[in-house]
Amino acid sequence: MAMKTLAPEQKQALAKLRASLGGISEQKRQAQKHLVAARKAILKFLEAKPATVPQIAEALQLPSSEALWHVTGMRKYGKVAEAGEEGDYPLYALVVQQEAAEASH
Amino acid sequence: MNTHITSDFTPDALIIGGGIAGLQSALDLADQDLQVLLVERQASIGGHMIALSKVYPTLDCASCITTPKMSAAAHHPNITILTNTEVEGIDTRDGVHRVRLLQKPTYVNFDKCIGCRLCEYACDTEYPDPFEEGLGAVRAIAVPFTNAIPQKAVLNAEVCGTCGACARVCPTGAIEYDQQPRHLTIHTDAVIVASGFNLNAITVKPQYNAQHSQNIISPLTLERLLAPHGPYGRVLRPSDGKMPGSIAFVQCAGSRDESIGVSYCSRVCCMYAIKQAMLLSGALPLADITIYYMDIRAFGKGYEQFFQNAKAMGINFVRGKVARIHPVEDGDLSLHVETTEDAGNPMQERRHDLVVLAQGMIPGWQPSDVTPVACASDGFVATPALTAPAATTVPGIFVAGTAAGPKDIVDTIAEAGAAAMQASQYLYQKRSAVLVG
Ligand SMILES: Cc1cc2nc3c(=O)[nH]c(=O)nc-3n(C[C@H](O)[C@H](O)[C@H](O)COP(=O)(O)OP(=O)(O)OC[C@H]3O[C@@H](n4cnc5c(N)ncnc54)[C@H](O)[C@@H]3O)c2cc1C
Ligand code: SF4
Ligand code: SF4
Repeated sequence: MAMKTLAPEQKQALAKLRASLGGISEQKRQAQKHLVAARKAILKFLEAKPATVPQIAEALQLPSSEALWHVTGMRKYGKVAEAGEEGDYPLYALVVQQEAAEASH
Repeated sequence: MNTHITSDFTPDALIIGGGIAGLQSALDLADQDLQVLLVERQASIGGHMIALSKVYPTLDCASCITTPKMSAAAHHPNITILTNTEVEGIDTRDGVHRVRLLQKPTYVNFDKCIGCRLCEYACDTEYPDPFEEGLGAVRAIAVPFTNAIPQKAVLNAEVCGTCGACARVCPTGAIEYDQQPRHLTIHTDAVIVASGFNLNAITVKPQYNAQHSQNIISPLTLERLLAPHGPYGRVLRPSDGKMPGSIAFVQCAGSRDESIGVSYCSRVCCMYAIKQAMLLSGALPLADITIYYMDIRAFGKGYEQFFQNAKAMGINFVRGKVARIHPVEDGDLSLHVETTEDAGNPMQERRHDLVVLAQGMIPGWQPSDVTPVACASDGFVATPALTAPAATTVPGIFVAGTAAGPKDIVDTIAEAGAAAMQASQYLYQKRSAVLVG
């Protein structure tokens, strides 16, 4: 989807919202940085092969509940999908891998 | 959906709360050609029911029953709905109720928004989804959930990073970053309080250590895990994504206990635990499911049979009290149970990998803080007249559903119909008196 540029009044409104929030706090900035980095790392890890939540957590040194939360968000927004099970855990794969696997069946 | 009003709008009745009680009352009044204003503080109508998986005693899909009611209310020519709107207070003088409302900014112009979700896909900020009891993720700007009504995006300013991406992709120019809160005062002759329930804190009993384990969950969380479009798409435990093999339900974990301020029975927990156990045994056929209970209160039509069916399905019912819960290795939980079923061994330690605490039902809102409506000693709206169950202490203000006390959907709907009937009768009598006088 092509990104339009914001009209001057939209820019002004956005600045007003930012000001009303007291600016973007350092905590919010850090949280966003962490989110983007964790998602990127998970995508990269899953490029090799599908993995379970504990496997993702161990590889990326994340608490397993946090790894599950990221996978849940990535599943909802179409980046990863379930790809079978291993022991008591579902496996997650990149959506592109999953689509390729389904096409070859 | 009619969402436009100003302070000179004078509906015949104003309903506080868009759960199943408020929706039913609104439809019943609107069908009698009365003008209704329905006010909901969340971004969508539907209340708790729209988040349930299936409902006892029929095991119907909850959203299949709730969505048509939501949609009927949204499309009714006599119903105006304001979401993201709180009732700040009611002053009653000479039989007229002045209701003060606060409409919170959504930062999206609902007249322009077409619900395409392009903004949601463009946003890269996510936070724990309140609709999924915090388990799923939702973006800072999003349509609240799949079958939300209205299907309009709402921006959460608390998490928004103000990057501007949403406004850049919105095809209709709907995003208004400078939207402000709006105060409105509505004059009406009748009010129905349908503000519903909340659950008390999962940590209310410190001996259950819920703050120390993500695998001690709320029954509402389990509803989402069981829902077809739930956060994980299947039942997994929140600590690590494992498919649980042994699940425990601890009943009366927030009710029938004077020391936590909830001495009453919450009435629905036995039945929803039985329902959830049945649904779990379908979702996880190999799992071992145990319900620890003091006594099973299956009082409604067909409810005893429902309980007997669950027993026949192999769900374990253990009569006893869970004294303590401790997190142990691998995210599992150790339960210390005092049971009356094994005289030789009354104190037992049982292990499970997921525990559901039946929290108590408490009022969703305290109208007595900001309105003349009195609450009873249990905190729910008082209904002093035995022969008029929906009447409150204020003439012209009625109550429906769990705002008046714990109850299930069948009783909520029956009471909502009664509240609508009493309200329309009140309006008719009031207006006939004016004509005669
Ligand atoms: C885990 C669980 C499972 C259940 N399963 C079943 C089942 O299977 N079958 C069954 O029959 N029952 C079940 N129930 C009970 C059922 O959920 C309730 O009976 C029903 O949802 C009550 O509806 P309500 O409209 O009274 O309240 P709610 O659903 O709580 O609706 C109240 C609405 O009012 C809004 N509100 C509150 N205060 C304000 C305010 N000041 N201004 C504006 N809006 C306000 C709230 O946001 C909410 O949308 C279950 C309950 C639980 C906890
Ligand atoms: S705000 Fe714009 S982009 Fe977002 S759902 Fe509405 S119309 Fe679509
Ligand atoms: S402005 Fe806020 S809501 Fe919009 S895309 Fe950026 S972070 Fe998301």
